[in-house]
Amino acid sequence: MIKHHPDHNLLTEYCAGTLDWALCLGITTHLHFCSECRNTVAHLNSIGGSLLAQGPQEQVSQDVFTNLMAQIQARETAAVEFVAQSTEPPLHPSISKDRMLTNLPKVVRKLLPKDKALRWQTVSPNLKMARLTAGQDKYEVAFHRICSGGKVAQHDHGGLEVTVVLKGSFSDGDGIYTPGDFLVRQPGEVHRPTAAQNEDCLCFSICEAPVRLTGLLGRLVNPFLSVKPA
Amino acid sequence: MTQTLMNHMKGDESPGGVRDDTWSRLLMQVGQERSQQAFARLFGHFAPLIKGFCLANPSSSLPGEAADELVQEVMFKVWTKAPSYDASKAAASTWIFTVMRNCRIDMIRRNSRHQVNSADVEVDDIWDEELDHQPFVRLQQARNEEMIQRSFATLPIEQKQALTQVYMQGKSHSEIAEETGLPLGTVKSRVRMGLKKIQASLGKR
Repeated sequence: MIKHHPDHNLLTEYCAGTLDWALCLGITTHLHFCSECRNTVAHLNSIGGSLLAQGPQEQVSQDVFTNLMAQIQARETAAVEFVAQSTEPPLHPSISKDRMLTNLPKVVRKLLPKDKALRWQTVSPNLKMARLTAGQDKYEVAFHRICSGGKVAQHDHGGLEVTVVLKGSFSDGDGIYTPGDFLVRQPGEVHRPTAAQNEDCLCFSICEAPVRLTGLLGRLVNPFLSVKPA
Repeated sequence: MTQTLMNHMKGDESPGGVRDDTWSRLLMQVGQERSQQAFARLFGHFAPLIKGFCLANPSSSLPGEAADELVQEVMFKVWTKAPSYDASKAAASTWIFTVMRNCRIDMIRRNSRHQVNSADVEVDDIWDEELDHQPFVRLQQARNEEMIQRSFATLPIEQKQALTQVYMQGKSHSEIAEETGLPLGTVKSRVRMGLKKIQASLGKR
């Protein structure tokens, strides 16, 4: 049961197409799990449709239509020879064999590297992270994986951090998060996630600025942490 | 494809709240029968709206000169994607709005430097139509649109403005805050209040 959703402001920006690309990845991932928000999105899209239908009109020259029909004609001709290649390329064996990385939402699957393994880095004893290339340079997009029963060092956020749970579950002072849950952490919010005992927890995360570990471990590790948007 | 067809731009008026079906029906015809006549009528109606949208909010990454290019690109997508259009899920204007939004984002990204390493995830992966095909409570979308238009008209001016800036001018909440000098929280709450009122009006039905 999904309890944590993006707020209406985020969903509105998503539907209007004004939300940062990386955050949109997070929203789409949540929508994969959440019919309630898919419903809201359909609704917000229809507000866009209504506004478009009522919006200002500008005359379009006949040339645009002529060019367009020529473009369509050319495509129809080419389409006869075109063979659709809709199958996704095979993943690297190290990814396809990893049980945690199977049956991921389509948008997340698309972010997986095709011809190489993910580079898992150990952030702290119970936490590993693998950066993903997402075609933007504002946020760091990554998988975070917490070992079953593992506690993550208490940390603070230097910027906005969005987390969507993909597999397993984790909890912190505020609640328990299961697949599909969408969490937003603002700068200055400190928390200490703990994965459930029975299985690892895989999260999809989008971070605006370096996560700062607080406490002793944090002081040791922080200099090595940096956000690398890709 | 005649000029007369292109000039035929009026949709069916239906004050009784029954779906205004003309554009959705035409779009179905384009999708199912590949009707170029129906497509020409859709073009006649939507191309000026798409251009109007583009000219109302030129930006450095999508200047006014690109308006005709956007029109052509959107309508090309409308033609190619029409077979997947389902009138029971969305009114034509909503569906075309989403196609336009995706084309706009695509053009902006193409004009920026991000294109190089973003080959894998595309706009259509993010605003994924497949998600719409999963089961969800049917919303009677087309009928909703009429209600939305009515309740939108009755919103207080500042809420109307905020929603217009988000949807029609393609501005993020923080960009609006910056431009208007309003606190971000105020912009957010205006958008939220506006949405709430529109949703309430749908609930009343």
